[in-house]
Amino acid sequence: MKIGVFICHCGENIGRTVDCPRVAKACEWLPGVEVSLDYKYMCSDPGQNMIKDEIRKKKLDAIVVGSCSPHMHEKTFRKAAVDAGINPFLVEIANLREHCSWVHDDIDSATDKAIDLVRMAVEKVKRNVPLTTIEVPVTKRTLVIGGGIAGIQAALDVANAGYEVVLVEKEPSIGGHMSQLSETFPTLDCSQCILTPRMVEVYQHPRIKLMTYSEVEKVEGFIGNFTVTIRKKARHIDEDKCTGCGLCITKCPTKKKAFNSFEEDLAYRPAVYVPFPQAVPNIPVIDETVCMYYKNGKCGMCVKVCGREAIDFNQQDKIVTEEIGAIIVATGYKLYKIDKKPDDSPIKGYGEYGYGKFKDVVDGLQFERIASASGPTSGEFKRPSDGKEPKKIVFIQCVGSRDESKGFSYCSKICCMYTAKHAMLYKHKVHDGEAYVFYMDIRSGGKMYDEFVRRAIEEDGVKYIRGRVSRIFEKDGKYIVRGEDTIAGMPVEIDADMVVLATAMIAQQDASELAQTIGIPYDKYGFYNEAHPKLRPIESTTGGVFLAGACQSPKDIPESVAMASAAAAKALVLFGSDKLEREPVVAYVNESLCAGCFACKKVCPYGAVEVKELKDRNGVVYREVAYVNTGLCQGCGTCTATCPSKSVELAGFNNEEIFAQIAAL
Amino acid sequence: MEELRKHAKELLENKTVAAILAYVEAGPQRTKPAIITKPEDVSKMVFNEYCLNNLAVYLTKARIKNLAKQNGTVMKLGIVAKPCDIHAVVALIQESQLKREDVYIIGMNCHGVVKDFGMEFSGETLASKCVPCETHKPLYYDIVLGEEKQTPAVSDEVLAKMQAIEKMTYEERFEYFKKEFDKCIKCYACRAACPLCYCQRCITDKTIPRWIESSPHSRGNFAWNVVRAFHLSGRCIGCGECERACPMDIPLSLLNRRMTETAKEAFAYVSGRSIETPTLVGSYDVKDSDELFM
Amino acid sequence: MKEQNWEPKIVAFVCNWCTYTGADLAGTSRLKYPTNVKLIRVMCSGGIDPVFILKAFERGADGILVSGCHPNDCHYNAGNFHARRRWTFFHELLDYLGIDKDRLQFSWVSASEGKKFVDVVSKVVNDVKAMGPFKGYEQLNKEFMTEFPDVSGVNNDVIIKEGEAV
Repeated sequence: MKIGVFICHCGENIGRTVDCPRVAKACEWLPGVEVSLDYKYMCSDPGQNMIKDEIRKKKLDAIVVGSCSPHMHEKTFRKAAVDAGINPFLVEIANLREHCSWVHDDIDSATDKAIDLVRMAVEKVKRNVPLTTIEVPVTKRTLVIGGGIAGIQAALDVANAGYEVVLVEKEPSIGGHMSQLSETFPTLDCSQCILTPRMVEVYQHPRIKLMTYSEVEKVEGFIGNFTVTIRKKARHIDEDKCTGCGLCITKCPTKKKAFNSFEEDLAYRPAVYVPFPQAVPNIPVIDETVCMYYKNGKCGMCVKVCGREAIDFNQQDKIVTEEIGAIIVATGYKLYKIDKKPDDSPIKGYGEYGYGKFKDVVDGLQFERIASASGPTSGEFKRPSDGKEPKKIVFIQCVGSRDESKGFSYCSKICCMYTAKHAMLYKHKVHDGEAYVFYMDIRSGGKMYDEFVRRAIEEDGVKYIRGRVSRIFEKDGKYIVRGEDTIAGMPVEIDADMVVLATAMIAQQDASELAQTIGIPYDKYGFYNEAHPKLRPIESTTGGVFLAGACQSPKDIPESVAMASAAAAKALVLFGSDKLEREPVVAYVNESLCAGCFACKKVCPYGAVEVKELKDRNGVVYREVAYVNTGLCQGCGTCTATCPSKSVELAGFNNEEIFAQIAAL
Repeated sequence: MEELRKHAKELLENKTVAAILAYVEAGPQRTKPAIITKPEDVSKMVFNEYCLNNLAVYLTKARIKNLAKQNGTVMKLGIVAKPCDIHAVVALIQESQLKREDVYIIGMNCHGVVKDFGMEFSGETLASKCVPCETHKPLYYDIVLGEEKQTPAVSDEVLAKMQAIEKMTYEERFEYFKKEFDKCIKCYACRAACPLCYCQRCITDKTIPRWIESSPHSRGNFAWNVVRAFHLSGRCIGCGECERACPMDIPLSLLNRRMTETAKEAFAYVSGRSIETPTLVGSYDVKDSDELFM
Repeated sequence: MKEQNWEPKIVAFVCNWCTYTGADLAGTSRLKYPTNVKLIRVMCSGGIDPVFILKAFERGADGILVSGCHPNDCHYNAGNFHARRRWTFFHELLDYLGIDKDRLQFSWVSASEGKKFVDVVSKVVNDVKAMGPFKGYEQLNKEFMTEFPDVSGVNNDVIIKEGEAV
């Protein structure tokens, strides 16, 4: 076997601490090395041509490039090798930059190490086996998980490009948090008015299969070829028959047993309900936990009034499987509920603010409902306790955000803006009212954002106080908000009628479970991790799974929408070709040696190991052995280390290759 | 004994089993394994304190498996098994080497066996594996036979030896084991006697690449014994057959026992106790200790 | 080998996705660590066989590091969990056989932990330096080399391929 060694100086980057000519000279004498050269920039065109020429001239079988990390230029050099007629997997990279020149100072020892690294690579490449890339087909269907604004946008973009979409939403209606909002900053246009047309478009789109009140249970497969299992929870109403007339809702006698979660628990709902009037689909759900029928088998009022016989108390959850090529995760966020934390909860909450104790201490989303024209107060500012108009409201920002001791260290990003909006909306309706805002910093980066906050302060007269609130207590029918004005350097006390807490945006409660179902990593807060914080912010590290919206980190509407469109574009990139190429780094079994203990099958994270029956010439099974489905195998090699008889090997990293590297140490 | 023979005869006569792996008399205070296929041979079967072999080792052998295949139908194989031997059967089922329905377990109540043939059974001659034994009654069986008797209580010498080794310095320990492993002649009797060494080709026999140096040298001996012990970690059921088979008297149970203790301490797992439990190597728990890792 | 000039030989078996990339980041950040460490890249920490460790000792390694992605962050979801079980046994076994626990160390280093990689590697180098050469295995190796001089070259473990000069 003839091997070529090429040592790159990377300008000064390697050359400064590694004596490249000395490395090249030393490697000439390694067994099997035909030619060993160094050059200023191996990745440049002249450098690559040098490699190609040497391969052709010396009829090389394999090459080793001593350069930067294989994560940088392995592809480049593999391509050069292919151009000159060698298999791309007969190329090995010795990492002389990140693992040698950049981390060491002493030229002598760094050069010695560089020679060792090249020698290890040479020994490995001698054992490398030519491999061919694997082609897998692409199912051109997208699964969007979450039907908030991000999910809606992503689904519409993909569907409008001509591909089928399955949109799964766990609530009975799509719309997400945006449908709860009153007006949106910085334009103060009505949230429902801009969202509802999109929701209807999703519902009517011929290429979107909408599955509300459904949850993803299992994701199997890999990029381009996922099989997704979805649980369609029982609505107890036949979706095909229901016309959405709402008679069952108005006649339901169980009116005040359950809080309306869409109204953030500020109102009640019947046992049979749609979350809100504009819900899509406009099909009610029967809540088993409060419905009289499930308690004592009586009532059945809805059955009597439904002219379409759509009520079905015996309906069961349905399990649906879908073949999917790309997954867009857009599961959004939830608000940090700061009351009644159980003692074992990692977040301790803000008991001193009296949330959950004082009825008029509300959080941001509750205030949105109070401010909303479709809300429980029809848009009149009435406080929850007695329905009176509050004359003095205190807004507190950063409740749970930027607070490591009681909440989370990150900034929730949208609270500065929505608090300004809340105060502004209040001042617009209650002209004689007073609005105070306690803030830490005002973070209003964004188009027209800072202007918006200035307007709240300057035109609408919202009073901003820089400082934290230490305590809220009740006195003479008022809520005394005691805090500190850090600019004036003195304590302040405000006797408010109502307090609004801008609580932190946090990950959905079941975010980590879903992440494990899909197989994507998440951070310590439960937000999903992007593949690269700067250059791959949309992709998860799992191929074919993309992220959109606040499930990745706190985001406002325009950012969520932009990210959703980007995720859709990423899915469409995937659908641009009929076949996907993947690296042939997959495991394979030596069937004659396999004893069939199936330890490999047990450890495989992808279920890629299957049972294969070996039959004799009469068709009688004489042994069962393991078999690797290369379509499912992702090439981790856990099976190879588990196999006691070493009957399974990982292509590209087989044991012979690794032993050779160890032997060359 | 009569009960055992009677039952075995019935099994063979009504064709419940194709053959029975059993013990037969082989001189005074000595038995040997036998494959009983004819009803008239059951009179030779015995069960006593000299039934040392773990017969489960034969269950995975192709020739014995083929006995069960007669005229195109698969019959069961019978096995006379001590409770500890049944652990091996369970482990084999867990590791897909056997199906429960393929084997008819004649479970024997057991109060211990002797260290070696020709010894009078007493506390002094009790086999070391029987000292810490907790299962005197079979856990899985198709029938249980034999009388229940008290096992003599004696001190656990293997455990004491193990603890003594743990008190040594690293150098002393290395020297101790190096000396023990140096005796190894690579006859692989330990492997042949082990019911859980069922690989088609053992790692030590693999030459491309060569995993373990097979030369008669302490470096290769060291590697072989480390890998043998590691491959049985969390799997060894402690029948002690490897040590009994070793012609050079290498104290292999010192290794096996240590790994069994680790499985117990770190993962609360005892091998071969339940068919339904996933094998230790082959499953994981997110809550496994992370102490080892920086 | 003279004691005062002795430099330990350290091998690190690292996974492609986290620790190898973390080591790349250490380079990009121009952090410094001793030259004793050489990395062998595998795809996942779950694919590192304990025999690799023995082979490395047989090749004169004085200390070994095994490193992968943090639990829950494995690129392959669960490879590192399987690795963790495996190493718990193997580490106990080596310790019992008289191989100092610090000769074989383990860590989780993510792709963003360049600094941690440097800390971990430096700790292994320092620990091994404090212990000195691995006398036990050195003795085994030396005896082996004198008894079997023919196979003491680079390639005795792996089949020699056609046309290859040793």
